[in-house]
Amino acid sequence: MAFTRKAQTYSSSINEVTIGTGDKAVTIGGSNVMPLYSFDAPLKNKIAIGAEITDSGVDRTLPGIASYYEGADTIAEIAKRASEMPGADFVALALNGADPNGENRPVEECVEIAKQVSDAIDVPLVITGSRNVEKDTALFSSIAEALQGKNVLLVSAKEENYKTVAASAIMAYGNKISAESAVDINLAKQLNVLLSQMGINPESYVMNVGSAAAGYGYDYVASTLDRVKDAALAQNDAMLQMPIITPVSQETWAVKESIVSEEDYPDWGSRESRGVDMEVCTAAAVIAGGSDAVILRHPQSIAAISGMIADLM
Amino acid sequence: MAKFVVIGERIHCISPTIKKAMEEMNPEPIIKRAKEQIEAGATYIDVNIGPAEKNGPELMKWAVKTIQEACNNVPLALDTSNRAAIEAGISVYDRTNGKPIVNSADAGDRIENIDLAAANDAIVIALCSKAGVPSDNDERMVYCQELLERGMNEGMDPSDMWFDPLFLVIKGMQDKQMAVLDFIGQLSDMGLNSTGGLSNVSNGTPKYIRPILDAATVAMAMCRGLTSAIMNPCDARVMETIKASDIIKNNFLYADSFLEI
Repeated sequence: MAFTRKAQTYSSSINEVTIGTGDKAVTIGGSNVMPLYSFDAPLKNKIAIGAEITDSGVDRTLPGIASYYEGADTIAEIAKRASEMPGADFVALALNGADPNGENRPVEECVEIAKQVSDAIDVPLVITGSRNVEKDTALFSSIAEALQGKNVLLVSAKEENYKTVAASAIMAYGNKISAESAVDINLAKQLNVLLSQMGINPESYVMNVGSAAAGYGYDYVASTLDRVKDAALAQNDAMLQMPIITPVSQETWAVKESIVSEEDYPDWGSRESRGVDMEVCTAAAVIAGGSDAVILRHPQSIAAISGMIADLM
Repeated sequence: MAKFVVIGERIHCISPTIKKAMEEMNPEPIIKRAKEQIEAGATYIDVNIGPAEKNGPELMKWAVKTIQEACNNVPLALDTSNRAAIEAGISVYDRTNGKPIVNSADAGDRIENIDLAAANDAIVIALCSKAGVPSDNDERMVYCQELLERGMNEGMDPSDMWFDPLFLVIKGMQDKQMAVLDFIGQLSDMGLNSTGGLSNVSNGTPKYIRPILDAATVAMAMCRGLTSAIMNPCDARVMETIKASDIIKNNFLYADSFLEI
């Protein structure tokens, strides 16, 4: 008897969330099949890739990054260059310098940088904060106001500050947020419930369910992503149908493989190619697990992942 | 596994308010009662118009349209012994949020309701009985097989046949309770869906006792694999028990606010 293939489609689907404005706005989510199962049904939207820059520019100690950004010196020039990176759909500005335990860049300066970046690009803008709850609450509120109507995505609101961040970013100024739950699936759902109980429209936020570099507890990320997609699609759990964004680069460029020098570890070879490998394999894994958008740093990683997505769509 | 399906039983012609509203075709009391049940967590709303020998088809059509139009096309169970009325109800039914349920068929006089469900791509509640209460689980299983065979011959997907083991009243049939639960386990082992009139178990007990018995029964039955119940969703104790049991069965992901959603 001939084999008859049955498509595994679901009556439920992931929400669609749009970031940015105009022709280059990006919509993520929308699919009603397991991640990348384009053989079951066409994927509604392409998985989006963000090119990461930081408030202090880019890491020019890596030759590939230095050459790509050559001649781009101001934050606006750097942002413009990032927005033109082949394979990238949006720019992700990481306000690492805002961290009170680091450079502690004041909110006003961060807002100014965010405005310069926003003005320099025509693709959507995603902004990641300092990861300090208090600072980010103030930061996201001010940025949301300064970039009112630009439909930027602020990453991320947490259990401690979701009310303030959602009220200002979404309700007052019409931007988007992600809800961060650090590999805690019950918290991921709870945050979505709390946001929905505030009356926030589900098309106004995404999830960041956490990430880890491959080999650094990634198995927890994998099982979290699997369980989220199973609940969202197979169990039609409306409180887990938000699309997922994963800031990959901040994890993968902070692990030993991407940091130690070739002089110290000659057997390991070039630091840059190690870092790219970590970034590519982690990004590929989170996309296979169900991430609808990833943030990456290196042009080579972005080229590799955008090629992978194009082949699998 | 899918979440437990609650079929709200409160639109029933035994209720004086509903009976009057149906006689007068007055939509307000019926819509109000549908909305209360949906708000309380019902997935399906049962519409019991009684035998309605005089105007069954007309009344069911009116009830289906009235409730679905007012309640975002909530899926309905069409509950009457009047077959023409069920067919008429299905003819105006909107399937956006789920197939209609034919309530109900049995292995006796009402076996043709299986054919009706099959012909209309509906779900059917199949009572594992013929005439009166089956004496034991062997008898229940014979009826179950008859019903299943009939449905499959008519081209039904077995998942659209929700088998009713017949919940029995505790006060009077206390010694039969575990057998009913065992039978639910047998249905579940066969991969079949099941449902039943939950509050039968607490019939005749004091009002404050009823939710306690209903809640304990539904938890024990869900543990054995019960997938649905026809019940009063406005009973908070029973609903909380069902939600908690869905969590324990991993049918629904836990979040601190799980009772609120």
